[in-house]
Amino acid sequence: MPPPQASYAPSLDKLIKSLKSQPYETSIEALIFLLKRRQVKGDDCAVATAHILLQVVARSKWHDVDQLLGRVQSVGSRLARAAPHEPVIGNIVRRVLGLIRDEASEERNNADDLGSESGSDIQSLAPTNPPPQRPAPTPVLMRSSTAAPGGLQVSKSMFNILSAATSADTPMTGASTPLSQAQPASVHALRTEVIDGIEEIMDEIQSADDQIASFADVQIHPGEYVLAYQPTKTVERFLIKAATKRRFTVFIASIDPIDPGTGEKPYAALRKKLNSHGVTTVNLASNGLMAYISRVNKVIFGAKVIYQNGGLLVDSGACIAAQAAREFLKPVIVLGAVYKFCPEDPSDEAVIGELGNPSSFVSYAGGPEVEALDIENTVTDYIPPSLVEVYITNLGPQTRHHLASILADHYKVEDIGYSLHDGEV
Amino acid sequence: MATESNGAPAGAPVPKETKTSAPAPAEGPVAGPAAAATNPEKLTPAQLKAKAKAEKAARRQKVIANKEAVAAAAPAKEAGKGKGKQDGQPAQSKQHRGSMSGRRPSIGGLVEKEKDVRSGIPECFSHVPMAKRVPLSQAHKDVDPAVLVAGQQMATFAIKDSISRLEATLLAFKKVIESYETPKGNSLSRHLVPHVLNPQIEHLTECRPMCFAMGNAIRLLKTKINSFDINDPEDETKEELLEWIDTMINERIKLAEYLIARNAAGLIEEGEKVLTYGRHRLVEKTLLKAKEIGKTFDVTIIDDPYEGGGQTLAKTLRQAGINVLYSPNLGGLRPKVAGATNVILGGEAIFANGSLNAASGTADVAMAGQNAGAKVTVLCETINFDRERVSVDALTYNEIDPERNTAECFRLLYDNTQDKYISGVVTEFESGGGNSPAQAILALLRTREDPQIA
Repeated sequence: MPPPQASYAPSLDKLIKSLKSQPYETSIEALIFLLKRRQVKGDDCAVATAHILLQVVARSKWHDVDQLLGRVQSVGSRLARAAPHEPVIGNIVRRVLGLIRDEASEERNNADDLGSESGSDIQSLAPTNPPPQRPAPTPVLMRSSTAAPGGLQVSKSMFNILSAATSADTPMTGASTPLSQAQPASVHALRTEVIDGIEEIMDEIQSADDQIASFADVQIHPGEYVLAYQPTKTVERFLIKAATKRRFTVFIASIDPIDPGTGEKPYAALRKKLNSHGVTTVNLASNGLMAYISRVNKVIFGAKVIYQNGGLLVDSGACIAAQAAREFLKPVIVLGAVYKFCPEDPSDEAVIGELGNPSSFVSYAGGPEVEALDIENTVTDYIPPSLVEVYITNLGPQTRHHLASILADHYKVEDIGYSLHDGEV
Repeated sequence: MATESNGAPAGAPVPKETKTSAPAPAEGPVAGPAAAATNPEKLTPAQLKAKAKAEKAARRQKVIANKEAVAAAAPAKEAGKGKGKQDGQPAQSKQHRGSMSGRRPSIGGLVEKEKDVRSGIPECFSHVPMAKRVPLSQAHKDVDPAVLVAGQQMATFAIKDSISRLEATLLAFKKVIESYETPKGNSLSRHLVPHVLNPQIEHLTECRPMCFAMGNAIRLLKTKINSFDINDPEDETKEELLEWIDTMINERIKLAEYLIARNAAGLIEEGEKVLTYGRHRLVEKTLLKAKEIGKTFDVTIIDDPYEGGGQTLAKTLRQAGINVLYSPNLGGLRPKVAGATNVILGGEAIFANGSLNAASGTADVAMAGQNAGAKVTVLCETINFDRERVSVDALTYNEIDPERNTAECFRLLYDNTQDKYISGVVTEFESGGGNSPAQAILALLRTREDPQIA
């Protein structure tokens, strides 16, 4: 089962390098293993998913759009099920699905642009409804939240009747029949278009951090005290960018205890860079943050996922920072690229938080009384939207009131309801 | 001023008392000779103290200079004297550093090392005091061995919470009083505090900023001593003082603990989900008491990985047969608090405005608890109440963890929970099921005896 490179410490880099040299099915399996072992996590999941889907589009056999959508959906669900804690995978799959639909409808429009204008409105009334409904009734394994996306979906599909009718009639419906007939000629063109599109998504992922960082000096002002909770790469870049223009102080907080005895210096690289720009940094070795928040001007952290309600999935403890900031009326700034916006509501599991390995906190050599303890080490937190002031995306700062339009711009209605945790499609 | 010098939870009572009831040593070099003139026997100690004061002030100035011109230790600027005097007592670490280089020039290397103790503290926290290990050889010669021991225990955090520190202080003072003999021509009520007790208090403060309970108890003790007549026989006075200290320990510590545990245990309802933070003596006693009187309830313990006391508490409760869910840090606090009905927290001190000074992280838990609709109960002995000070944020009265005092790794020991997050405070004055809102502490204290605290 394990791919050949598993014998040498497998990593995403190796996987990406070997993508072309091995069957794409092998690559999918390899990524699934990496995801399950959490050797690929966070932002890398998005990159990895895009790479794999690119292979699927480029190398799998498909003859029409429906087949291609099915392939992508099935591979997407396999990946998503391998890492249910990483909704970003689902986001990328949805983006690719939307891309395929767009390209396909463009193709078709090119094929018969005659009369499509008048025809599509009437045509779409019938086929629009089936596709969105298809995913909704399918049994859902993990997500209890399908109801809410369903709600959104209905309103979207109403909207769609007028505005996005052309894209609605592609999948597995009667409307796609003429399309399928036209396929053989356009499969090649479609393949190229979709591959280009996926590459664009990959570029977008790559440049997102820089784009987000470009808003740094607007948000951070001279002399401020900024609390960065477990700074991710995105936050690091943001702070460093701000440091080139401003003098301020950064408090770096983390849930992992810092032991001064070990000589381990958390965030040493980031601190060195910031210090070299004249920015003061302080590592807070603290569990609670209320003690420091009165000194802090704003709280910044990166989101793993931003849900459609504006809630966030974050590293555990960030909620403490957000909550403390709220009480002292300090703004909470969340950094998250658009590809992290998830057109779902948080699942109950996400709200409760994911449990991690507690063994670093408790010595299991401690005897029966320790073994009898119920220990919970929560590693992710859910932050309700009310605690967040500003979302800074690669498209600029947003408030939660406008998240819906971002979602509408990036995902197709048909794919929003599509639950990646369903069985193979 | 006083707070800066003595440290957050410590300060004011001491310097204040020093100024009012013990003019001679506190007034510095000018007052020293004056005292010496009237009392030939005390000439030397008084002068020494005055000299030490001057030195301290000078050293303090030096440190300030250090800070400004990194490590360029300008030797003893006498100009700093006045300010040092006004502060009552320079910040403990600086003061100590000063006396070291002054008294033992031979150990220069060590001095250099010691100098860095506070230098790593980030600028924005530089006003916060920090505990400091004072080598026994550096202690003032008048410090009693029992106090030296207590000081060491406090500086190393072997004795950590406010009540244990109070008890250790009182027991050490008992030893001091037992071995005390009034010099000829003096009376106990006039001589004991300025010449014997004050050096002890200074030493303890130097080791670690005093907690509010110690401040309160010392104020009470000084009032007690001052209440004796000059002509009272020494033996009887000593006897009465020792008894008074015993009563203090019994009533304000032992009985208070029992009563609070009993009262708070009565507040736990059958089948409740109790949540607590870290390990506080009173909370532990309360939960065990509640179990003992036959209540069934679940406990969630949120721990502080830097203290780890919650784990000990978890084991203790588990052995008592209580269902325990243990979380090693504040991660996932919201969902955990949402499942709790009663958040029970222990406090280090409560200020006049009702805000709670407690282990860092308590405020986060209290706030989450209140926001989730749970009742937040704070357990605190009245000796910990501070009627004079008011604190609105955690940077007013706090302490730096001496283990983690640099920009690379910085930690404050306490935080400040505003009264709006506290549903009620259980004290030893309460009886039955009632408890009082945090804002009521002044009224509460005023209605009871103890005009000194209330």
